Amino acid sequence: DLLQRPQISKCRSPEMETFSCFWTAGNFYNLTVPRILQLLYKKSNEEDWKECPDYITSGHNSCYFNASYTSVWTPYCVQLASKNEIHDKKCFSVDEIVLPDPPVHLNWTLLNTSQTGIYGDIQVRWDPPPTADVRKGWITLEYELQYKEVNETKWKELKPRLSTMAPLYSLKTARDYEIRIRSRQRTSEKFGEFSEILYVSFSQIGIGCDHCTEEVEFPWFLVVVFGVCGLAVTVISIMLSKQPRLKMLIFPPVPVPKIKGIDPDLLKKGKLDEVNSILACHDSYKTQLYSDDLWVEFIELDIEDPDEKNRASDTDRLLSEDHLKSHNCLGVKDDDSGRASCCEPDIPETDFSASDTCDATSDSDQFKKATEKEEDLLCLDRQDNDESLASTDPQSWHRNTPSENSLLWAPFGDSIESPRPSVHTPISNQNSLTSNDFYAQVSDITPAGRVVLSPGQKSKLGRAQHEGCTEQNFTVDNTYFCEADVKKCIAVTSHEENEPHVQEQVYNEDGYFTTESLTTTVANFGAPTAAPPSSETPVADYTSIHIVQSPQGLVLNATALPVPDKEFNVSCGYVSTDQLNKIMP
Amino acid sequence: MSTKGASLKGLLLVTLLVSHMLLTKEGVTSLPICPNGSVNCQLSLEELFDRAVKLSHYIHFLSSEMFNEFDERYAQGRGFIAKAVNSCHTASLTTPEDKEQAQQIHHEDLLNLILGVLRSWNDPLVHLASEVQRIKEAPETILWKAVEIEEQNKRLLEGMEKIVGRVQSGEVENDIYTPWDGLPSLQLADEDSRLFAFYNLLHCLRRDSHKIDNYLKVLKCRLIHDNNC
Repeated sequence: DLLQRPQISKCRSPEMETFSCFWTAGNFYNLTVPRILQLLYKKSNEEDWKECPDYITSGHNSCYFNASYTSVWTPYCVQLASKNEIHDKKCFSVDEIVLPDPPVHLNWTLLNTSQTGIYGDIQVRWDPPPTADVRKGWITLEYELQYKEVNETKWKELKPRLSTMAPLYSLKTARDYEIRIRSRQRTSEKFGEFSEILYVSFSQIGIGCDHCTEEVEFPWFLVVVFGVCGLAVTVISIMLSKQPRLKMLIFPPVPVPKIKGIDPDLLKKGKLDEVNSILACHDSYKTQLYSDDLWVEFIELDIEDPDEKNRASDTDRLLSEDHLKSHNCLGVKDDDSGRASCCEPDIPETDFSASDTCDATSDSDQFKKATEKEEDLLCLDRQDNDESLASTDPQSWHRNTPSENSLLWAPFGDSIESPRPSVHTPISNQNSLTSNDFYAQVSDITPAGRVVLSPGQKSKLGRAQHEGCTEQNFTVDNTYFCEADVKKCIAVTSHEENEPHVQEQVYNEDGYFTTESLTTTVANFGAPTAAPPSSETPVADYTSIHIVQSPQGLVLNATALPVPDKEFNVSCGYVSTDQLNKIMP
Repeated sequence: MSTKGASLKGLLLVTLLVSHMLLTKEGVTSLPICPNGSVNCQLSLEELFDRAVKLSHYIHFLSSEMFNEFDERYAQGRGFIAKAVNSCHTASLTTPEDKEQAQQIHHEDLLNLILGVLRSWNDPLVHLASEVQRIKEAPETILWKAVEIEEQNKRLLEGMEKIVGRVQSGEVENDIYTPWDGLPSLQLADEDSRLFAFYNLLHCLRRDSHKIDNYLKVLKCRLIHDNNC
């Protein structure tokens, strides 16, 4: 057995008017020789230890101090002693050891029951402990109520309250409950003892619902309904909200088919040529566009000139002299079906604003002018008569060099966006006329939108010409060949297409030269050819000149010249250098 | 949208403030002010006592907690409790020590005693708030409580003076006061001695605040509710 000294277990004051101390004797002493334990006390302002005034009232091993001995805020010390031996000592003040008695007179009343009778509310009332003088305000108590079902083990607590009544809600009428209450001084932490247990039984007052034992199920239906409603409200609010970010986060927009730079409306109702011109912005399209196969398709799509499709040998037609005229292509407004004629000024210009993603480094207006000029110069196939194909249009040369496709198209495509549709028109027409046996090479596209033809074709053409071209009176020097002529020739050869070695020298600022450049470089040719194209109407006396390395390579549009219908063949409206020399004085 | 957001925020803020005001109605710091703020505004004695009781209860609550925290943190193992004799500087004031004495004392005398105790604590509380910050690693809660107690004590003093002015028939006796000379002990170099001084001061504070709280409740029940609280 452990040796236990006598010690003071606790001192307690129930109402702050009296207090008692309790101790345990321990097994220290031999019971045969009983020792007498004394409790001595001393107030702080006293010097002598006094003995306990009352050993009886509080029970065994206790000391009771009544009101006369109690000073509330005075420090006390008590000590447990026997004879001269002090076993234990405690010091305190009465206000610190207040532990009230439990409340009394617990009762409950029914407040109401639920409609189904399963649940009921009750009001519990009690009285403060009789010893505590709350009426005079000497002590302020607060109460804590605990309750549980009869067969449960864990008590539920209500938070402490000052009033002597408490409601209990939603008690099951089919079950019995137990209630107990304890109290404490308001500013203390420790509670006193619990009161007696109060039993609550609804059946005693006749409202017990014995058969109402079914548990209320989880209201799945309500949960689902409210969840769906909440979700719908959220979705609708998101959809209607004006926060585009949130909206896009929850409802990302379905991507519509979109090609960069192309207006979908244009696709729907735009003219095909315009569309093609826009599509040509894209490299992939370009390369495909100018492969041989695509030319075929491209031709087929052009349905507005049914006559063109029916032409059998466009090349022949192009190259035949009969079709060549020396009139001003630009000025003639013939009656052939629209697209075929490059000289048709009424080829509508599309809304170039639609294609806005194609890189345009130059002025679109300038493009348009260039387009018009080029368009006029294209002088592509006419349906019947005038085949004065102003083949200075480098675009006509483009297609016929598949190996140079990228080179042909790329600069052109990048630098010209807006005028392309109208320019394409004659191209398409020409393509429809040609049978893909006519190659040209464009060496570069100027920022102004002018096309610089490569004189490299010269060698090829020349070679071709030598090989198979006999009709025309071409000189090797000519950098430009009549389109018709070339068509005959290029079909023969295909090598040396990749020799744009001379084309570097071709470069000038403008593929098509203005008056100034004309004057500077075409001194030999005199004035008439130097008619400033920009100052004239596009259809009128615009002369396109393409100067290659030598002045001899200058080819002018013969329409601007007083073209004698003599020995030189204005086969396609272009005048070769030599021919020009002949013309000019 | 920005204005909408701002107005929504403002509305939310106003709602929060209003709800806070309503919810903290029971709090000490949100006692109803004099309506209309008029000069002749007079709260009833009952309301004055209500406020005073609330304040005194709050002060005692803070003192009790502060003492418990200090005891827990600094006093363990130092044997402070063993030193039973700790006299407070207000011990010289003869205050009722039990219920009978509290019942028998005249309410005016009791009010004056309360005032005297409160005044006597003005100075120590100021120094407590400042000196407790010099305690090594003093918890923030103790620091905050010291400041709060000092502030609330001033408010209670004002309230009590108003009550005394209402209740007192004769002139107000202002001479009940005990000076405090414990400041040097709070500034001792020896940490143990200094902490013991703090312990004593906090102990006395808890006790005196309990006294005042009790006296005020007794007075309230006696004067307002006619001994039938």
